[in-house]
Amino acid sequence: MTKPADKNLPSMPEKAQVKDLRVNEQRQFVTFYFGRHFFGLPIDEVIEINKALDITPVPLAPGYVSGVINLRGQILTAINLAERIGLVSQWEGNGEVRLNNVIMGNREEPVSLLVEKIGDVMSIPVEKIESVPDMIQGIDTKYVSQVCKLKDQLLIILNSQALEEASAGTSGAN
Amino acid sequence: MGMEDDILKDFLAESKENLELLDQQFVELEQEPDNEELIKSIFRTIHTIKGTSGFFGFTTLEGIAHFAEDILSKLRDGVVQVNEEITTILLQSVDYIKAILAELESSGQEPVDTEYLDFIVELRNFSEKIAKNISEASEGPSDQETAEEKKEAGPEKAKKEEGEPEAEQEPDAAKEEAKHTKQETTPAKPPENKKADKPAPKQKKKVPQPPSAHLTETHVRIDVHLLDQLMTLAGELVLSRNRMTQLASKLNDPDFVTANQRMSLVVTELQEQIMKTRMQPIGNVFNKFPRIVRDLAKTAEKKVQLKIVGAETELDRSIIESIKDPLTHMVRNSIDHGIEPPDIRVQKEKPPVGSLTMKAYHEGGQVIIEITDDGAGIDPDKLRTKAVEKGIITDEQARTLSNREALMLIFQPGFSTAEKVTNISGRGVGMDVVKTNIEKLGGTVELESEVGTGTTVKIKIPLTLAIIPALIVTTAGQRYAIPQVNLVELVHLNPQAARSDVQIIGNSEFYRLRGEILPLIRLRKALAIPEDDQSEEDTGINIVVLNAGGRLFGLVVDAISDSEEIVVKPLGSHLKNIPVFAGTTLMGDGRVALILDIVGITSAISSSGEDSMKQASSVTGAGMEDEHQFLLLCSVDPQEFFALPLALVNRLDKIKASDLEYVGGKEVIQYRGHSMPVIRLENYLSVSPLPDQEEYHLIVFHMNNKDIAFLVSQIEDSLDLAIDVEEGIFKQEGIIGSAIIKNRTTLFLDVYQIINMHDPEFFVTEELHAEEPARILLAEDSTFYRNMLTSYLTAAGYEVIEAEDGLKAWQIFQSEPVDLVITDIEMPHMDGLELTRKIRSQNNDIPIIAVTSLSGEENRQKGAEAGISDYQAKLDRDQVLQAVSTLLNKRTLEDAA
Repeated sequence: MTKPADKNLPSMPEKAQVKDLRVNEQRQFVTFYFGRHFFGLPIDEVIEINKALDITPVPLAPGYVSGVINLRGQILTAINLAERIGLVSQWEGNGEVRLNNVIMGNREEPVSLLVEKIGDVMSIPVEKIESVPDMIQGIDTKYVSQVCKLKDQLLIILNSQALEEASAGTSGAN
Repeated sequence: MGMEDDILKDFLAESKENLELLDQQFVELEQEPDNEELIKSIFRTIHTIKGTSGFFGFTTLEGIAHFAEDILSKLRDGVVQVNEEITTILLQSVDYIKAILAELESSGQEPVDTEYLDFIVELRNFSEKIAKNISEASEGPSDQETAEEKKEAGPEKAKKEEGEPEAEQEPDAAKEEAKHTKQETTPAKPPENKKADKPAPKQKKKVPQPPSAHLTETHVRIDVHLLDQLMTLAGELVLSRNRMTQLASKLNDPDFVTANQRMSLVVTELQEQIMKTRMQPIGNVFNKFPRIVRDLAKTAEKKVQLKIVGAETELDRSIIESIKDPLTHMVRNSIDHGIEPPDIRVQKEKPPVGSLTMKAYHEGGQVIIEITDDGAGIDPDKLRTKAVEKGIITDEQARTLSNREALMLIFQPGFSTAEKVTNISGRGVGMDVVKTNIEKLGGTVELESEVGTGTTVKIKIPLTLAIIPALIVTTAGQRYAIPQVNLVELVHLNPQAARSDVQIIGNSEFYRLRGEILPLIRLRKALAIPEDDQSEEDTGINIVVLNAGGRLFGLVVDAISDSEEIVVKPLGSHLKNIPVFAGTTLMGDGRVALILDIVGITSAISSSGEDSMKQASSVTGAGMEDEHQFLLLCSVDPQEFFALPLALVNRLDKIKASDLEYVGGKEVIQYRGHSMPVIRLENYLSVSPLPDQEEYHLIVFHMNNKDIAFLVSQIEDSLDLAIDVEEGIFKQEGIIGSAIIKNRTTLFLDVYQIINMHDPEFFVTEELHAEEPARILLAEDSTFYRNMLTSYLTAAGYEVIEAEDGLKAWQIFQSEPVDLVITDIEMPHMDGLELTRKIRSQNNDIPIIAVTSLSGEENRQKGAEAGISDYQAKLDRDQVLQAVSTLLNKRTLEDAA
């Protein structure tokens, strides 16, 4: 009776410890798809996720702004992820598709990021997260903060600040 | 006095906040007694209270603060450790301070109660005890230390020490005490003495408790964003409520209806209350003014007393922020221009000190702010003269202006009545900016003034910007809200009227609304949405007549819906810079609608080159300023620039080079189902040839019922400017003259002559075959117009005698036989009306045609009285020729008869 216990007891806390350590070193990401690309945002930068909402188009707005949406009385700017990061060519022809809203950013002025399909929340060990390669096909890398190579695809971790930032010049009317 | 009151208010508010913090900090301090930062922070708070109360002479408060500080200084220096006893007494001090502050707030006086004095004594004894403990614990050095400290603590302390026997334990203190009893007699002395030996622990708890509760209750600091959010949610709740109400009436369940009604009431109340949280007293702005007025008066070497009335009037926070600058500006004007220097005031039998009143009050859902001074007032005649000098209005207009209207002149851009420019005001920017800013808030400015007695500026602004009445319109399937303040009227044109009554000049459209020319802006165009011509053919057009900072224009929208009260919400940072939108709002169905910025729309259109607003000003301003003309600039070779009057142009278009055809030696193009001749300028003028391009620009003219076009490389710009044509250097056939426009030498094209050169038959109409050409006397001071009129009149087969002004024309008229007179109205030496009167005094039959840049209604009557037979627009060749021909024929017929 005591033997196995002796054997197991010391290993139990050790295992737990290892696990704890791993939990500590994992980061959680909200993932979503656009075209064949797979994206993620750190979970703490995402406020909520919404199904397709009515978008009111804003004439003269920068091209990446699809319009404005009403989120429980708060009016948010809806940014089309594909347009924003330069994915457009691969997305053309799907203009009619109702996109999902990832509400993100600071609480004072959140924005809605329009994405094609919402994925799961993924936990990823920190050590698997890599810095941005020089080039990712079809994407402006200034909007990418990190990447993570998964088994079958590349998770592109977006830079929410760059996405949200109203770049001078693009925001004006023509 | 007022200044001191303000400081006291600030002091109370600040202290209250700090004290709230103190409670928490003391508790924390108990937990971590070594936290130096914490002690320092507490020390600073108490120290500030001590200092300020000293300044105001609140001795009790100062006393408590002083001893509390004394204890804290020991904590800070690490000579004593925090213990429960110390914390308790310090917290008690805070309670007492709060109680005193509360009393100060309500009565402006310190409470006269021996409780407080008792506590001071207790506090002092405690402080003393600590000092003693220290000296006992470590004999020599600390004894000195405390003594020194006491000295440092200074006179305030000594003041409180007097009359207390214990103080004598310290030799230094005794000395100080002696000093101070000499200096001042303390009113607090007798009660202090009486109570000094009586311990007061039972009473001390009673006093602070209720006031401290009172203090925390009245004001809470809340993040503004939280309020905004509450507001938003309340708005959303109203929407949900509306849907519930609909449902309730559908379900027709009496219980549900009752429940819903109750909820409805609560929601409405809730929204109202939350709205109130956004309100602030206008005093927050007004209280900056005593200082501003004082400084301004000093700089201007005047004496001014400021009176503030109604500082408690509340209005929306966002408005409060934005009225400060306009108010400052107006106060500045009052002091600089209104109130006279003291010596002059005395001469005028006014008190040497001028009075300036700022008054705010509610009236009919609006806030009225009046700024009144008892200064010199504004002389409407002076304004008239000035306005004429500056070319803002004409002499004639000045005469017809009422005094009230004349006063409004100061809101014109570029107007300043100060005789000298001072560093305060008088640079000519100002009142117009004030007016624009107030109007941006949906408010109005009025001015009343009486010479010698003073001026009142009255500003009316809405209570809140958050909810505004708006007109909802639809364009391209989307709803847009137009703030009601901008709305003047709605006009619907049926398809037929839309075709016939909307004029096109250049690229701009105009509608004549009861004789006034109303520039039209298509909302689709302003929003860069493609036009949908079809619907217009079917339904006509809807024009929303709007007032944008004093200028009227018509906004063409697809449909007009309802008027609604809307809640204004800002646009996100990505969209803020779009000038045509002022914000967003939520509609009843939960969808978002954009709010149009009317001023933004006009300026966005103005900057895009095809400027109907600017053009309209040139069109409507034509009566006043004859020489101003809206010009179209184009280029053939990148180096050569040409200008022509835009009013001659029917359309601008682009064509592909491949569309050009040669037919019968002439270049033509298929245009709107016709073949239209196209003119290359280089064929008729000595200018560089048109370079080969894939696309050319067409400038299309419609004259004599025919279309003809010039082919150019580039349309450069269109602009409104005074034409100052030099004739000399570039004078050749087809060119009227040259001028420097935008730093480039620009040739003015004589459109009629060029067309005539291209096709001498173009202007020939069959009915015109006079055996002997009629002689026309042309009086026109502008070289540009004179040449142009001569050009097309000659082309039409008349003989033209030119005169540069009315006087010359009169001389010619007397010496030469003339069949018809064409005269400009505004001319030097003798104007057109005068000339007409002179001619009529001799000859009643001769036709006289007056030409203006564009015919204005109001002059016609005067012209008719003087004897003018007809009015025509200079640039409208066809009409002028028509009129000439009709009048001449009529005369021939009459002669024959």
